[in-house]
Amino acid sequence: MNAIEAKQLSKAYGAHQVVMGMDLTVRKGEIFGFLGRNGAGKSTFINMLTGIISSSSGTYSLLGVEGPDSKVMKRVGVMPDYSSLYGSWTALDHLRFFSELSGARASKEKCLEVLRSVDLLLHANKKAGKLSFGMKKKLGIAQAIIHDPELIFLDEPTSGMDAESVILIHRLIKELQKQGKTVFMTSHNLDEVEKICSRIAIMRDGVIDKIGTMEELRAFYRSTITVKIKHSTVPKQEQAKLKQWLESAGSLLEHGDAYTVITISDENKIAEIIRAFTQCKADVLRVEVEEPSLEEIFLNE
Amino acid sequence: MFVMCKREFISLFKGIKSIIMIAILFAVSYYAAKFSSVLSSGVELTAGEAEDIHTIGLLSVILLLGQLFVFGLSHDTINREIHERTMRFLVTRASRSTILFGKFLGIWLFWLFCIVVSFLLISIYSKKFDLFIFSQTMSLVTYQTALAVLLSVLIPRPGYTMFLGNILGLVLPAFGFWAALSPNGWVNWMKYFIPFYYLERDDFTFLVILGLAGIMLLAANTVFRRREC
Repeated sequence: MNAIEAKQLSKAYGAHQVVMGMDLTVRKGEIFGFLGRNGAGKSTFINMLTGIISSSSGTYSLLGVEGPDSKVMKRVGVMPDYSSLYGSWTALDHLRFFSELSGARASKEKCLEVLRSVDLLLHANKKAGKLSFGMKKKLGIAQAIIHDPELIFLDEPTSGMDAESVILIHRLIKELQKQGKTVFMTSHNLDEVEKICSRIAIMRDGVIDKIGTMEELRAFYRSTITVKIKHSTVPKQEQAKLKQWLESAGSLLEHGDAYTVITISDENKIAEIIRAFTQCKADVLRVEVEEPSLEEIFLNE
Repeated sequence: MFVMCKREFISLFKGIKSIIMIAILFAVSYYAAKFSSVLSSGVELTAGEAEDIHTIGLLSVILLLGQLFVFGLSHDTINREIHERTMRFLVTRASRSTILFGKFLGIWLFWLFCIVVSFLLISIYSKKFDLFIFSQTMSLVTYQTALAVLLSVLIPRPGYTMFLGNILGLVLPAFGFWAALSPNGWVNWMKYFIPFYYLERDDFTFLVILGLAGIMLLAANTVFRRREC
C-alpha cells in the first residue's frame, strides 16, 4: 500500500489551471521532496491532498483510503504553509487542543516531549503571539506530529529558520522516517531536499516535470559531468594532438599548462581522458569529478 | 464535534464582552423578577400574563437585544478562523461539518447556560421554573445562533459581519414585530421567516423556529463545505 496516490488530480480557478492532471505515488516510509518555483502549484497540490481546498477533478488516496476522508486525516499530520496559530494560546495549549481534535489526546508529558524535539521546551508556556517566526514554524511542525501520524505533510518546514534550527528539523524528519513514517515536504532549499529526501519531484506549471531519486535525476542530466584535471605541462609536440582529442571527447572549457576543465556526457570517458594525458607524456596529478547538484538540475529545468 | 464544542463554549466565557452581556442578562432577570409586582401594578394584565410577569425582564432583553448579543459574541465564529488562516489546522483534522456544528453547539450551550441561570434567578421570586417560556426563549436563541453562524460563513471578513451584525441585531427585532403585526402584504409574508410571529401564540408553533434554525444551519454547512480555507 502506498502512502499517497494521486490520479489525474487537477485544480482550476476559472480558466486558470493551477494543477493539471497530476499522477503521483509516494511509497510508505519515504521522505519525499517536492520542488518547484513559486506558483508552480506545489501548495495547491498539498492543499488538495489535505482537504484545505477541493480538487476540480481526479482522485487521490492517503494511506490506502480514498480522499477526502476525515477519518484517515486522524492518521495524517499537516503543517500548512501561510497558516497562523492562535496568538493568545500557549504552545502547550496548541498541542493539547490539536491532539484532542485528532482523537488522540496527548498527555502533558507527551506534549513536552514533542516540544523538546523541536527545541521549544523552554517556551511551552509562552503565548504563540510572542514567539518568533522560526519558533512558530517549529510549533507548526510540533502540532503536525503530536498525534503520532503515519503520514506527515510539511509545507516549507524550515523557511525562515536559523541554521541550527534547520539542522534540528532535518534530524527530526530523519528520525520520523526511522519510525516508519512517511514525510511529504516542499522546500525552496534545494540543498535541504538533496540531503534528506529519498525521492524528489520537480513541478513546473502545474505538472510534474521530473521525478526520481537523486541518482536518477542526476543520470538524466549526466551530460553535464564536469571533470577538472590538474596535470604536468604537456610537451609542445603533443599539445595539438591532446587538444584535438579532448575536443572530440567533450566540451573543453579550459585548457592550460597545468589545468584542464572539460564537460562530458558519459562518465566512462573519464578513464580515456586520463589515458590520453598519459599517452601525451603528461602526468595527471589530480582529477575532480563534479556531478550536477540538485540546484543545477533545477536551474537547467 | 465535542472538542470543537468545548473549545467554543469555554472561549465564550473569556473576554470582557461576554462578562458584560452575562451581567446584563442576570441583572435584568433578577431585578425584573424582584420588582415584577411594581411593574404589574401599573398595567392591566390577563391572568396568564400576570403569571408570567416575573420573566418579563429576561424576555424583553432576549427579544430586543438577544440578536445583538449573539452577533456581538459570535459574528466571526467561522470567518475569523478562515481570515487568520487558523482554519487550515482545523480542516486537516476534522470534517467541516464537525467544525461548523461543533461551533454552533458550543455557542448554543453557552446561551443555554446563561438562560438556565437567568430562569433560576427568576425562580427565586416566581417560585417556579416555567418550562414553556424557557423552551420558547431557547428556540429564539437557537434561531439567533444559527443566523450568526450562517452570516459568519457567508461573509468572509470579520469586520463586515461585525458591522452587519450590529445593524441586523438592532433592526431585526423591530422589523420582526412590524412584519408580524403589519397588515401590509409586502411586509407581512416575511413574518414566516422571522421568529417573533411564532412566539405570539401560547402553543407549540415556536417549534417552527427550530425548523428555520435547522434550514439556516444546513445552508451554512453546504456553503462551508465548498469554501476554501
